[in-house]
Amino acid sequence: MIKLFNAGFERLRKNKIFWLLTMFTIGIALIMIYTQYNDMKRYGEIIEVEQLFLNYSTMIGVVIAIFTSLFLGVEYSDGAIRNKICIGHKRTNIYMSNLIIVTITSLFSYILFMIVVSIIGIPLFGGLTLQFSLLCKLISCIFIAILAYSSIFTFIAMGISNKTITAIVSIMLVFIMMMTALTCLNILNAQKFIQKEKVSLVKGEMKPEIVPNPKYPSETKKKVCQTILNIIPAGQMFQIAGQTASDLKVLILYSLGVIIIFTSTGILLFKKKELK
Amino acid sequence: MEIILETNNLEKKYKSFRALNHLNVHIEKGAVYGLIGKNGAGKTTLIRIICGLQEPTSGTYTIYGENNNSSNITNVRKRIGAIIETPSIYGEMSARDNLIEQYKLVGMPSLEGIQELLKLVGLENVGKKKAKNFSLGMKQRLGIAIALTNNPDFLILDEPINGLDPQGIIEIRELILKLNKEKRITILISSHYLDELAKIATHYGFLDNGSIIKEISSEELLKKMKQKIELKVSNQKDFVKYFEEKKISYEVIDNKTINVYGKYNLSKFIIELSKKNLIIEEIHEQEESLENYYMNLIGGERVD
Repeated sequence: MIKLFNAGFERLRKNKIFWLLTMFTIGIALIMIYTQYNDMKRYGEIIEVEQLFLNYSTMIGVVIAIFTSLFLGVEYSDGAIRNKICIGHKRTNIYMSNLIIVTITSLFSYILFMIVVSIIGIPLFGGLTLQFSLLCKLISCIFIAILAYSSIFTFIAMGISNKTITAIVSIMLVFIMMMTALTCLNILNAQKFIQKEKVSLVKGEMKPEIVPNPKYPSETKKKVCQTILNIIPAGQMFQIAGQTASDLKVLILYSLGVIIIFTSTGILLFKKKELK
Repeated sequence: MEIILETNNLEKKYKSFRALNHLNVHIEKGAVYGLIGKNGAGKTTLIRIICGLQEPTSGTYTIYGENNNSSNITNVRKRIGAIIETPSIYGEMSARDNLIEQYKLVGMPSLEGIQELLKLVGLENVGKKKAKNFSLGMKQRLGIAIALTNNPDFLILDEPINGLDPQGIIEIRELILKLNKEKRITILISSHYLDELAKIATHYGFLDNGSIIKEISSEELLKKMKQKIELKVSNQKDFVKYFEEKKISYEVIDNKTINVYGKYNLSKFIIELSKKNLIIEEIHEQEESLENYYMNLIGGERVD
C-alpha cells in the first residue's frame, strides 16, 4: 500500500488537474473575499469570516467530482490500474489508495481555502465571531462530509472504466444532489400560513388575508426531506453552511454510513471487475 | 526443465461465448514462447487471466509453481512484466517520469538504473517530451522499459508489434532477443505476424477457438517445415523398406501417401526409385513456412 501511496502522490505532484484545482481554490477564496469586502464597504455589512469557510463547503462537492473523475479516470484510460494489478498489487489496496489520495486532495483543497481566507479575511473583516468549539464541530462535520463525497466519486470512478462517462456521471450526480438538497430545504422552510393576495375589507380597512399554506408539508414529508438532507453530503453542507442542522452527530453518523456503504460495495465490485 | 507457466484445462466464458476452451499451455524457463492464433482465438484473454485482470470460469494455472487460487499469487506476479495490447503509460508524463512512477510502484529503493533502462530501449535522448506525443514504436519501447523496472524473470508481450512500421518492428525484435539472450528473461509473446515470430520464438503454441491445438519447439518445427516431397504410391511397403535402408527421412501419411523430408534433385530421385521398381503415381515438392504450417494445423485435426 505504501508503494501505491508513493506512486500516487508522485503523480499528484506532477498532475495538471491537481495544480488547476489548487489555483481554482485560491482564486475562489480571493473572489469571495473581494465581493464580501465590496459589500462591507458599500452597504456597511458585517462580514463573518467563518461564514466564508462554511459557504465554500456547499460547492466543494463539484470540485471533488471534477477532480476525482479526471484524476482517477486516467487510471483506466492510460492502463495504470491494469499495470498495478499485473505487477502484483491487490485490488483492495489499489481501491483504498485511490480513495485516500482523493480524500486527502479534497481536504487539502478545503484547508487551503480556509488558510487563504484566514490570512486575508481576518485582517479585513475582523476575527472569528462564532464560538470556537462550535466552529470546530461544524468544520469536523464538513471534513467527514468531504470523506463521504470522496467515497461516492471514487466508487463511480473505479466502477466505470471510461473517463468521459465517469466525468459526466459524477458531475451530473453532484448537481442532482445539490438540487435535491435545495428542494428539500425549500419544502422544510415552507411557512404554515401565507398571506393571500386577495384582501378583505374589515371595518372599511383593506387587510391581507392569512390562509393556511397548501404546500405546507405533512409530518411524514418533513421527515423524508430531513432524512434526505441528512444522508446526502450536499444536504449536510447546506445545513452546516446555514447552521440549521439540529444535531451534528446525526450528520456524522449518516456520513460514516455513506462512506462504509460506498467503499465496501466499491471494493467488492472492483474485486470482481473484469478488466481489459 | 523448469516450467514457468502452466495452465490446466483453462476455460473462460463471456455469457454464451467460450473464449478459452480447456486450454493447456506449458512455458519453459528461458523460452521465447510465441502464441499464435487469429483474432478472437483467445490470446489476449489468456494473457489477461495470467496477469490477474480476469478470473477463469474454470480450470487453473500455475506461475512459478504457484496456483492461481493461492493467496501468494499476487506476490508471484511481482516477478512478471507485461504489456497487454497497449502499453500502460501516462500520456501527460515524460518517459523518465513514467519510469519514476513505476519505480515507486514496484518499490525500488532508489531511482538508479532509469537512465540505463531508457538506454536499453533506445529512449535516452527523448528528454521531457510527453509520452502522448511519442510514435507507436516509442510507446511500445517505453512500455517494455516500464515492464522491466521490477527486473522480471518473465515478460508477457501481447501483440507488441501491432501497428509498428518496419523500423519499429526491427527495433522491438532486437530488444526482445537481447532481453532473452542477455538477461535470460522468459518471454511470452502473442502475435499474428507469423514471419516475425519465426525470427525470435524458441517455442510455439498454436491457438484456435480457445484451445492450444499444438505446442512445439522451434527445432521440431524446423524439422517439420523443412523441404518436403509428397509421394503418392501404390506399393507403400516397398517404399518404406527402401527409405529405411537408405536412411531417408520420411513420414507415412496414409496408405497411399508418403512424405520425404530433405532436399533432393527430383529427376535423379525419381530415376533412382524407378531402378528399384518403385513406381510413383504422383509427386509434389513443397517448402513449408510457419504460415503454411499454421494454416494446415487449424484446417486439420486436433493434435492434442
